[in-house]
Amino acid sequence: MNATDLNYQIIDHTADLGIVVKGVDVKDVFIRAAQAMTDLMVKADINEKGAKRKVLVEGEDFPDLMVRWLGEILYLFDGEHILVSAIEISSISPIRLQSILTVVPLNRGHHEMLREIKAVTYHQISVQRVHDGWEARIIFDV
Amino acid sequence: MDFKVKKIDEWRYLIPKKGAMRVPGLVFSSSELMPNMKDDQSLLQVVNVATLPGIVKHSLAMPDIHWGYGFPIGGVAAFRMEDGIISPGGVGYDINCGVRLITTALVASEVRPRIKELVLALFKNIPAGVGSRGEIRLSRKEQRNVAAEGASWAVKKGMGTEEDLERTEDQGVIRGADPGAVSERAYKRGHDELGTLGSGNHFLEIQTVDEIYDQAKARAFNLFEGQLTVLIHSGSRGFGHQICDDFLKEMATKVKGAGFDLPDRQLACAYVTSDAGKRYLSAMACAANYAWANRQIIMHRTRDTFEKILAMGPNELKMKLLYDVCHNIAKLEQHVVDKKKVTLCVHRKGATRSLPPGHPDVPVVYREAGQPVLIPGDMGTYSFVLAGSQQAMDETFGSTCHGAGRTLSRKQAIKAAKGRAIHRELEDRGIYVQSRGRTTLKEEMPEAYKDISLVVEAVHMAGLAKKVARLRPLGVIKG
Repeated sequence: MNATDLNYQIIDHTADLGIVVKGVDVKDVFIRAAQAMTDLMVKADINEKGAKRKVLVEGEDFPDLMVRWLGEILYLFDGEHILVSAIEISSISPIRLQSILTVVPLNRGHHEMLREIKAVTYHQISVQRVHDGWEARIIFDV
Repeated sequence: MDFKVKKIDEWRYLIPKKGAMRVPGLVFSSSELMPNMKDDQSLLQVVNVATLPGIVKHSLAMPDIHWGYGFPIGGVAAFRMEDGIISPGGVGYDINCGVRLITTALVASEVRPRIKELVLALFKNIPAGVGSRGEIRLSRKEQRNVAAEGASWAVKKGMGTEEDLERTEDQGVIRGADPGAVSERAYKRGHDELGTLGSGNHFLEIQTVDEIYDQAKARAFNLFEGQLTVLIHSGSRGFGHQICDDFLKEMATKVKGAGFDLPDRQLACAYVTSDAGKRYLSAMACAANYAWANRQIIMHRTRDTFEKILAMGPNELKMKLLYDVCHNIAKLEQHVVDKKKVTLCVHRKGATRSLPPGHPDVPVVYREAGQPVLIPGDMGTYSFVLAGSQQAMDETFGSTCHGAGRTLSRKQAIKAAKGRAIHRELEDRGIYVQSRGRTTLKEEMPEAYKDISLVVEAVHMAGLAKKVARLRPLGVIKG
């Protein structure tokens, strides 16, 4: 997978690392943002077979929900050493996201670590409808 | 928001109060460094910080300021206890990211042929890189002890000496750390990362003292020309990142009812004396303590590695801690404002404390010279040792710069490094590098940073700290 396949672009930010992600609808943009973040951290086959895990995230609006959603996936990676290989979002509203993740244990022999992401920041976060779908801008602390 | 920048003198620029700003901005810089800032949003971030409740005197920026998230990196802001705020974003995710400098009895030219061997051994013994895990696996109880005790936890386990603690900012522990204020997630992220360097701009460097600017202070700091030194740059790892993240999220929600508007969500904050403010301070102290234990353990492993590779004993090597400073922190400190002594909550995000000669918090051994201020450069250039000054107490709540500060984004750096072998270029300049990550060397290449000499010159000339010595890298390990 590369940035083009995953439909995200890296944006310039002096200290940190930002991405712009596009999706056909709001679910799609949340899924692609999570895939893009994973793609920045680790080289792995997405769609690897694994266990299922339900994740529920609540926020105040779509931007807040995005920060919390990506924070959840980052925590699984860094705190539980779990890689998310596939994502299904069963329902989403500005304040609530329900998902079923396919997860695999992080394996340093198999997955190549690319970059450390410390956190997903609120700095200039945006998640909005654009003319051809949905777009999110996210800045990570790296 | 539109704002103006007025040059006050060669080293100071004022952003006059306007709109929602509660105080003016004051930027320490120079005619060479200032144009860099026009291209990013760091000065706007200085303005944004000036709008926060309870801010005192100025929203300050050091010469290495660059565009951060929320607060600029290289920013300093002090807030009153009674009506001021504390902000996790004003400290940063890497709570107590900092540096420690080890001096030795070795002359660099004599060790030069062994540098490669030393770098390889250090690279093996000190885990570095993305998600690096250490050999130390802590039970929850031990993790809580680390969070409460800081560097002294490592010393109690035989990884250092009492003298190391005396030569660490705050003796390597912020009192009042409450391990109960830390989330389960932070403990999980931190349980196997103690004693690891991490990635990004963190590094361990073998260096030589290349130039001395102030002989008397250099003697007080036990530095001599040609001496071999080791600099360690690391922080609180995932433990600190998670603590920052937890409180930012909590405060981002609660701040809406606090009666003031935030220009950027990342500036989320709480009143210092509020329940959330107090809990954040206690949890932040835990992360700060974790970071001090981390650097203490890395130093212990460095000493061990030197002893083994060079087959020399501790008495011959004399690997002594010169000092350890943190550059991402919020602290309750006493300062004089309008001729009155007051307690303030001082945020330093990418800024180093700079205490003058005679200050009671400076270790007795350095009391006459002033607090050692350690400014790491990037991996290809110099680092500097300075001494704290009264001017810093008068103007910047006892603060100065923390490093070079980025000038290229990571994307730009990777583009500039395309087709080049950065490690070879560094080796040609006499610097042997080992790094773990595929893109780290490119992202962290020397051109990605401002010229550290210009940054140090600006703080020296502004009087925020005084130059003592310059250190040149010989070998680097990076994540």
